[in-house]
Amino acid sequence: MTERKRVRTSGEGVSRRRVLQGLAAVAAVGGTRAAFGAAPAARSGTVTLQYQTANLTEKQYEPVWKEMLARFEAQNPNIKIEPILVARKDHWTKFVTAAKANQAPDVVAVDIATAAYNGYLHPLDDLWQAEPPSFRQAWTADAIKTASWKGKLYGLPSWGGIYGEIYNRDLVKQAGLDMSKPPFTWTEYLQWAKRLTKEGQQWALAVLGGKTDSTTRMLLMWIWSNGGEAFNADMTQATFASNPKTLEALEFYLGLDVTHKVVAPGAVNVNYLEQTTLFAQQKIATMRNAYWGVAKVVGDNPAITDKIAVAFPPMNTGTKVTMATMAADSISKDCKHAEAAWKFIKFVNDREWGIKRALVSNWMPLRTDLATDPEVKKDPMLVQFLEYGKVARAYPLPHPLWADIAANDIVGAVQSALLKQATVKDAFSKLDAALNAKFKEI
Amino acid sequence: MKGGAAQPGNLVAWVGMGVLLAITLFPFYWMVNTSLKPQSEVFQSPPTFFSFNWTLTAYGRVLATRAVGRYFWNSAVISVGATLLAVGLSALAAYGLSRFRMRWERPLILLLLFTQMLPGTLLIIPYFQLMAKLQLINTYTALILAYVSFALPFSTWMLAGFFRSIPLELDEAAMVDGCGRLKAFWRVILPLSLPGLIAVGIFTFLLAWNAYVFALVLTTDPKMFPLSVGIANMMGEYQVLWNEMMAAAVLATLPVFILYGFLERYLVQGITAGAVKG
Amino acid sequence: MERAGGLRRERWLGYLFVAPMLVFLLGIILFPLGHAFLTSLYREAGVNIRFVGLGNYARLLDDPTFWNSLGVSVVFTVASVALHLVVAMPVALFVNGLRRGRTTLRLAFLTPWMVTPVLGAIAWVWLLDPHFGVANYLLRSVGAISENRIWLGEPGLALGSIVAVDVWRGFPFIMLIILAGLQTVPREEYEAASIDGAGALQRFLYVTLPHLRYLLVVATTLDVINTVRTFDIVAVMTKGGPVNATEVLPVLIFSTAFQANRFGPAAAIGVVLLGLLLIFSTLYVLLLQSERRERRI
Repeated sequence: MTERKRVRTSGEGVSRRRVLQGLAAVAAVGGTRAAFGAAPAARSGTVTLQYQTANLTEKQYEPVWKEMLARFEAQNPNIKIEPILVARKDHWTKFVTAAKANQAPDVVAVDIATAAYNGYLHPLDDLWQAEPPSFRQAWTADAIKTASWKGKLYGLPSWGGIYGEIYNRDLVKQAGLDMSKPPFTWTEYLQWAKRLTKEGQQWALAVLGGKTDSTTRMLLMWIWSNGGEAFNADMTQATFASNPKTLEALEFYLGLDVTHKVVAPGAVNVNYLEQTTLFAQQKIATMRNAYWGVAKVVGDNPAITDKIAVAFPPMNTGTKVTMATMAADSISKDCKHAEAAWKFIKFVNDREWGIKRALVSNWMPLRTDLATDPEVKKDPMLVQFLEYGKVARAYPLPHPLWADIAANDIVGAVQSALLKQATVKDAFSKLDAALNAKFKEI
Repeated sequence: MKGGAAQPGNLVAWVGMGVLLAITLFPFYWMVNTSLKPQSEVFQSPPTFFSFNWTLTAYGRVLATRAVGRYFWNSAVISVGATLLAVGLSALAAYGLSRFRMRWERPLILLLLFTQMLPGTLLIIPYFQLMAKLQLINTYTALILAYVSFALPFSTWMLAGFFRSIPLELDEAAMVDGCGRLKAFWRVILPLSLPGLIAVGIFTFLLAWNAYVFALVLTTDPKMFPLSVGIANMMGEYQVLWNEMMAAAVLATLPVFILYGFLERYLVQGITAGAVKG
Repeated sequence: MERAGGLRRERWLGYLFVAPMLVFLLGIILFPLGHAFLTSLYREAGVNIRFVGLGNYARLLDDPTFWNSLGVSVVFTVASVALHLVVAMPVALFVNGLRRGRTTLRLAFLTPWMVTPVLGAIAWVWLLDPHFGVANYLLRSVGAISENRIWLGEPGLALGSIVAVDVWRGFPFIMLIILAGLQTVPREEYEAASIDGAGALQRFLYVTLPHLRYLLVVATTLDVINTVRTFDIVAVMTKGGPVNATEVLPVLIFSTAFQANRFGPAAAIGVVLLGLLLIFSTLYVLLLQSERRERRI
């Protein structure tokens, strides 16, 4: 620890300036010593890996990752894992700042396309190909594709969220509706929504319009459920307004707020936090969310545990489609111990931890061989979500500007429409133009 | 009511001040109120202002699950370090400014102002790179240096004003007695300006204690987190336990309140001097 | 206060005293600043970084997002600084006039300034929550509003809420400065004015204000410089939304750099902000020198 003493001068002696310089020097030395004190002692042969994902600060994950790290270190005495805790909202900022100084953490979970495009990640193809087929076949080709950029693999898909429609049984019953026959078409959903809304007290759902990418996730799901597309196949054109099915979906979804008023007020401020809070406090009767949403609302309000029912989200075409978000573990470019990092990544994706993440934190495993595990089968809701996963499309969309587009441009259009600053058609035509211009730049 | 040392007797004035005071203090009351509520009561509609269910559970959980003591210590070390360095540098500079007529005084003031104007978000990345080169990531030093640079302009200004209020004759008397310039400064002027020094100290301390973005970026080891970062980490994207969050906020704010309670008048004196003669 | 002419020979000593601080500042600030300026001359597209000279700056001229942000910054700063003064002045006058309890009241009013901005903002987010926050409840109870307002979700209201929080946080310091200035007003002048038959308001306008003028200029300028750079509050409460209604320049810089990964353009915006502040504060120093010359006896 740094020592700071008040140096007493006497007679002709030490000038104040020299005292201060001394203090500064002591501070610098002490500070550096503190640095060494704070960092784990580097014994010869020991490798320290820094591990940063946004989940480490989510309460529902804490017990799992602490046990996981302890077990890994016990099995690998030469490798020490240093977890970097950062709030989700600051995760990317911290990562980029470090990456720009070539000090990025060794193992990270970040948006693959953006990070790879900017050169922050280490390609994993060699390490991946060196694994036996028995290991590699646990991941579908689609999952691997989503974790790749320009043909190279940059992450091992670790966990995700599969979206369904979550209902509050009690509120449904109070509205005189039958939970055993959940709405499947949009028309049915609208009918339910109207009955589930009591002006000023309770609403059917919350539309997410806040400035995070969860707004875009909802939007995409509604678009897909009408057979529409937001972009063309190679993501060089945005088709929000130009694709009639997409526009129809947008008008219906945003119309739930603007026209039908079955939506909780303040949509432009609603992100996951607000949506799940509203559901937990029984102010909204339905929520489109992934399985982790259930854990969250139960944590908020344990009394709601028995009131939760899950059904497939309403579709406007006959075909079922939902969304599966994906988080993948990657190795940063600055990592000097790629083999050790890969070993850790594989460990994180072991069956045991995949199952624990699913059962404790309610995060879906992306290994296809876990669905049949007896532990997993014990949880009927988990099984239900895994079923939905079979018709799920992957998110995020593979574009290097995705983080920006999803949390900024698309949200802007949604907010414009919700605030009635523009019609849905105008807002999203402008969005198409803006996105097309951005796409041309790269 | 307005102007002059007359006791404000106007009822409107008293009522107005009362309302203003209530608005000023209400958020703190609500912070404490929320922090004492059990989780089930936090979202109750209508919200409760006082509850027989008040409990210290949230505080207990915060202290048990977060290394608040460690964060506290880090904040304290960084703030004290920044304070000492800032006081030293600004005292020297302020003495120079107040006692000597220099040709470059105006550009100097401009430079001070200029550094005051730098937006933090512009500097995070290059500052991080600089500290990375110097191997000062995860050290107290990196943050101390940054915070001192933020605090120096205002501190220098304030102290210059303070020194100006001390008559030159005292310097001359000391020098006549055989002291050099520096000794006159150290022996005579500094002790007289203790209130000003304390004022600068408090100002810098508060600046360092409250800073967030630089600490966020420059520390990766949780053992080095200051309070601001440690508490901000409690805002999960999916879950914010408001009672625990407010409990942590209360814990972080209380020491500052206590410190200010004791030392505030020095800050006032310092600003007074700086304002009058600056 | 005059400096004795005899000391002028020791000018070099003056520089020596100032040197440590100067060296420190230049060392800590110069490199990052230079680097930031250099960055603003490049544009990145993934791993390709091209030199574009002043291209990023030229682009800003056509960029509606930039102009919107500039406008928001201006509105925010002007409103905030003005309200700081409007709120701080009566409070300072009131506290100054008290015979007892001055310190306590001063401390009480100082509390918002002591809180970490981020934590204060988080507390306000909770207060202003549209469904569960106490602000809506209280305002509805006294009949000030008829239904729950979305304080951070309606564009005009959001900016107003941010200004209100910044005023809450920022007025105490201005109050302190004004209080300091009030000490310098000679009592005799008030008495003389009273004898002449001046009422309270006239005493304020013709005795108090003139003495405070210099101080108010200083305080306002520093306040403007600090308020323009406000980042924490906005980032926590609205992130610049809804639809960019509260996107002040620092927030734009941050999101351009870290969300869009466009560091060159972000640095350019930062330099522009710096430039504007530089112009503003040059005016301040000129004003300061002329005020000081006026006050010299």
